[in-house]
Formats: sequence, structure tokens, C-alpha cells
Amino acid sequence: MNRDLSSKESDHAATLHLSGDISNTVGQQLVNDVTRIASRGNREVSIDLKELPQLDSRSCAWLIEAVRAGRRLGARVSLIGAHGQVADFIELMRANFEPPPVPTFYRDGFLGRLGGKAIEAWDEARVVGNLIIDALYWSFLGPVGGRGLRWKALLAEIQEMGVGAIGIVCLINFLLGLVIAMLSAVQLRMFNMQILVASGVVIGFARELAPIMTGIVVSARTGAAITAQLATMKVSEEIDALKGMGLNVAKFLIAPKFLSILVSLPILTIMGFISGVAGGFLLGMLSLGFTFDSWWAQTLQAVKLGDITQGFVKSFFFAMIIVIVGCHNGLRVSGGANEVGRATTRAVVMDIFLIIVADMLFATLFYFTT
Amino acid sequence: MEKRPIIEVRDLVAGYGREVVLRGISFDVYPGEILVVLGASGCGKSTLLKLLVGLLKPMSGSIRYWGKDIKKMDEDELDHLLHKIGLSFQDGALFNSMTVGENVALPMVEYGNMDRELIPILARMKLSLVGLTNSGYLMPEALSGGMKKRVGFARAIAIDPTIVFFDEPSAGLDPITAAGLDKIILDIRRLMELTMVVVTHELDSIRSVADRVIMLDWGEIIFDGTLAQIETADHPRVRQFFERIPDKTIL
Ligand SMILES: Nc1ncnc2c1ncn2[C@@H]1O[C@H](COP(=O)(O)OP(=O)(O)O)[C@@H](O)[C@H]1O
Ligand SMILES: [Mg+2]
Repeated sequence: MNRDLSSKESDHAATLHLSGDISNTVGQQLVNDVTRIASRGNREVSIDLKELPQLDSRSCAWLIEAVRAGRRLGARVSLIGAHGQVADFIELMRANFEPPPVPTFYRDGFLGRLGGKAIEAWDEARVVGNLIIDALYWSFLGPVGGRGLRWKALLAEIQEMGVGAIGIVCLINFLLGLVIAMLSAVQLRMFNMQILVASGVVIGFARELAPIMTGIVVSARTGAAITAQLATMKVSEEIDALKGMGLNVAKFLIAPKFLSILVSLPILTIMGFISGVAGGFLLGMLSLGFTFDSWWAQTLQAVKLGDITQGFVKSFFFAMIIVIVGCHNGLRVSGGANEVGRATTRAVVMDIFLIIVADMLFATLFYFTT
Repeated sequence: MEKRPIIEVRDLVAGYGREVVLRGISFDVYPGEILVVLGASGCGKSTLLKLLVGLLKPMSGSIRYWGKDIKKMDEDELDHLLHKIGLSFQDGALFNSMTVGENVALPMVEYGNMDRELIPILARMKLSLVGLTNSGYLMPEALSGGMKKRVGFARAIAIDPTIVFFDEPSAGLDPITAAGLDKIILDIRRLMELTMVVVTHELDSIRSVADRVIMLDWGEIIFDGTLAQIETADHPRVRQFFERIPDKTIL
């Protein structure tokens, strides 16, 4: 028994006396005592605070815990004899002696949730559709119809998305060119047909590797940046501010990005293609005994204009995927800073997935038409 | 007041990069008092608070807590000091990924000397002090600016600090909430023996709580005295501030 806490029990009621401060030990014991008394069926428990010199947050928290512990077992716990600072403190904290109300959330049944998902998906599709239409309108028809284009913003975006990405795009394609040449050289050596390394590299890069690698690099670089920027603007209510001023978000923010990536990505893809072929050539020259002339002759003979246009055309679609996915994920954010990170992740994953799916569709199309 | 000051600031010069914002200020903070630092926006009030809690290093001058210069404190001492200080930021600075209750509970959880079962109760008690008893489950994004600020205040007093710094408590609050703020501040001071430094650009909102007022202008202290004294002070800038006369250069 603690000397700061004593108890008196009669048939139906019990009184606990507190004297001295409520240390953690005393507090814990107070809660235990109340629980013990209440679980024996006592309906009335009083805690006498007459001799309590003062109350601070922590000791008050113990009182609250004790009152609630008793109440959970059906006993009525009352605090008696409080005066001065102790009484004021308890008065100030009165609301805390009640357990917090359980917030109610609206919840659908199973079918409702299923339907809700479907409606959500449909809504998202509609929003994306509108976004595409808006972006196209404000990028092409708007400016032609004299409704203006933000040239400065467009140039800044091209600088950022296009020029700024040249280094990394070329480097990655160049290295990949080296690797692909190495791989195919090993395979083709078995048939003594290393000569075909040159054609493999050039066709691979023209049709698939350059557009895809460039698309992925740009989506990780620019797509993520678009989402992060728009999401941050959304979170800090800048987007609302734009709309509130009667400015068009599509014209103001999306059109410059849309046009810029539509210009940048195909050019980057061509650069990536050239770098990839150069990477292949470096390996061919260093370890397969190619000369520039022999590599060049083989390359020219293998590649057709159609291969290059195929990659080029695809890059336009990839560009659209990146910018639309980026803008959409940025603008759909609502909430706080952690949503920005989540939106960016979602955008990049969606980008890569959609780029691969689109590529597959193109591959199928070309396969059956040629 | 014959007590020894808790905080002594001497010849404090500070700023950002090479730009000097505070040009040599000195003042004391006494235990149990509510000191109001008054000044136009941009005069360096938030900067002063950042210095007082060690978020910004002064260019010269000293800040002493209980007689000890914070420049000379080692990491443990500084840590210990920070546990005695609560800071409530201008816009709340809540962690968006946590609920309101978790925001307030965070310092208690992190300081680790608190009984686990008490933490939710204590967090709710602090919230009830700022009138948000049952809002603990909300996410910060669901709060208005004024509510965020009040949660920020609840978080600042979470571990029952000795000193609380309060940046612009009333800016952006509706008049009713701002008036309620006086009561909150007085209640807390009376029941928890806090020392408070309140930074604001409008004295009106916390007129009834100020024990002492310091006025900052252009990085210098142009007034230091009681509320009654500042009302009758004849320093032209002080008068301009109280009579709401705009700067000629702005007109
Ligand atoms: N992070 C910063 N970098 C550079 N200058 C700053 C920074 N924060 C504030 N300032 C400048 O310091 C001055 C004082 O700012 P601040 O202390 O925030 O004023 P107050 O809180 O009184 O409105 C202002 O002129 C402001 O431009
Ligand atoms: Mg400020």
C-alpha cells in the first residue's frame, strides 16, 4: 500500500484518498485500485482530492484514466474535495473525462463498394478524356484561333524537358548499344555471322530500344517532375487560385508542357537512336574488327526508312502518355504532402506500364501489316 | 519583478546569408511572464524566434538560458534545453501524414519517458485546451488555417515545456477565436506555470495577456516596457503603429 494512496470501502461505496503528488507509480496504482473495486461490483467510487496539493497534466491524465477505467466496468467514479488549482485544472479538462466519441464514417455495402469502384474508374476515364481534349485544344486550336499560347513558358519547358535531358538520354542509349552489341556478338559468333551485329543494333534501336529507353528515362525525369509540380500546386491551393482568377489551367500549365514534350521526346528519341548505334559501333570496332565503312555499309543495308519512322511515330504517342499521365496524377491529388509522393509514384508506374502496352499494340499492328 | 531572467539576449546580430535582419538587440525574459514581441511584418520577429530555439545561428551576440550561453552548450545540454521549450509555428507546421492527435502525441512518444497508456489521454487534454477536444482523428488537411495553428500550439505544449514561443497566434484567426485565445493563454499560464514569448503584429488580439511588450522596428528594439507604458509612449514609430498611420513610402 502506497502512503500517498489509501482506501476505505463499505458495502456499496469506496473512497480512495490521495495525498501528495500523483507520481506514475501512484497513478498506476490508482487505476488498478479503481479497476479492482469496480470489478467487485461496487457502483460508487469516489476519489478524494482534498489533500492533493496541485495537479499537472500528467497527474490529471492518471485521474482521467482512473475515471474511465471505473466507468468501463459500470461504476460511477466521482472526484470529490478538489479545490484551488486542482479544481480549476479539472474544470478546464472536464471534456476529457468523457471517452472520445467514435467518429462515424459513411460505408457502402459490398455491391455498393463494387459499384463505387466502377464509378470511380469511369469518372477517372472521363476526367482523363477531358484533360486530353483540353490539352489538345489549348495546344493547337487555341493558339491558332488567336487565344494565345504562353511562349516563354513553352521555351522554358523545352529547355527543361528537352535540352536538359539530352545528356542522360544519350548516355543511357549509348551504354545500352554497347551491351546489346556484346550480347548479340556472343550469339552470332556461334554461326560466324558477327557481321549481323550491326544490323541487329540498328534495327533494334530504330524500332524498339531508342523509343522505349528514351520514353522511360523521360517519364522518370519529366513525368515525375510534372506530377510533383502540379500536385504541390494543388496541395497549396495554387491551382484553385488560378481557377479563381478565371485563368485556364489547361492553357496556363498544361499546354506548354504538352507541346514541349511533343517536340522534345521525338528529337530525344532520334538522338538516343544515334547514340545507341554509336555504342554498338564502338564495340564492333574495338572487339569485332569492324571498320567505320564496313559498319556503315552493313547498317545502311539493314535499316529501312520505315524502321526509323516507326520509332519516331511511337515516340509521339509515348510523349502524350507521359504528359497526360503526369498532369492527371498531379491534378487529382487532394490532401497533404504525403499525397504528392504517392501521386508521383503512381504516375511513373503508370507511364512505364502504358508505354510498354502501347509499344506492344504498335508491334502487333506492324507485325500484321507488313 | 526581482527574479533572475530565464533568457538573456545580448547584442544579438543575425540575418540570412550576408543580409543583416536583427541589428544588435538585447532583452530579458523573466519566469512566468508573458512577453509580447511586437513589430510590423518583415521586421524579423520569426527570425528572432528561430534564433531563440537554435534553428538559426547568430552572427554575433549571445543568448543565455538560465545563465548558460547556447553557443557553449554541448549536444546533450542543447537537447535538454529543447525539451523545455515549445515552439508553435506561424502556420502550424503540422505533419500532414499524421492525424491531429498523432501530431500532438509525437513529442511525447519521441521523448520516451511517458506511460504509453497516458499518451492518448494527454494528447486529447492538450487539444481540449485549444478547443479541439474531439478532433484528434482528423487529418491536418481537413482543418482550417486557424485550427491548424491551434493544433500547432497544442503540440508545442505537449510535453509541458517551461517556455513556449508562439509565432503570430492571432494572425488569420476569426475575432471570436482570437478573443478565445486570450483565455487559452491565461488558463495555460495559470495552471501550468508557463513562460510565454508571443510574437505578433497586432497587439489588440492579445492585449489583455501581455505583461510586458517589446517593439521591434528595422531589426532594433525601439520599446521595452509594460502595456500601460507603450500606450502612452511618444516614440514616433510606436505612435505610428498604434494609430495605424501608413508609411509615406508605401503611399
Ligand atoms: N529564409 C530566409 N532567407 C532570406 N531572408 C529571409 C528568410 N526568412 C526571412 N527573411 C527576411 O528576413 C526579414 C525578416 O523576416 P521574418 O523574421 O520572417 O519577419 P516577420 O516574422 O517579422 O514578419 C524579412 O525581410 C525577410 O525577407
Ligand atoms: Mg513571421
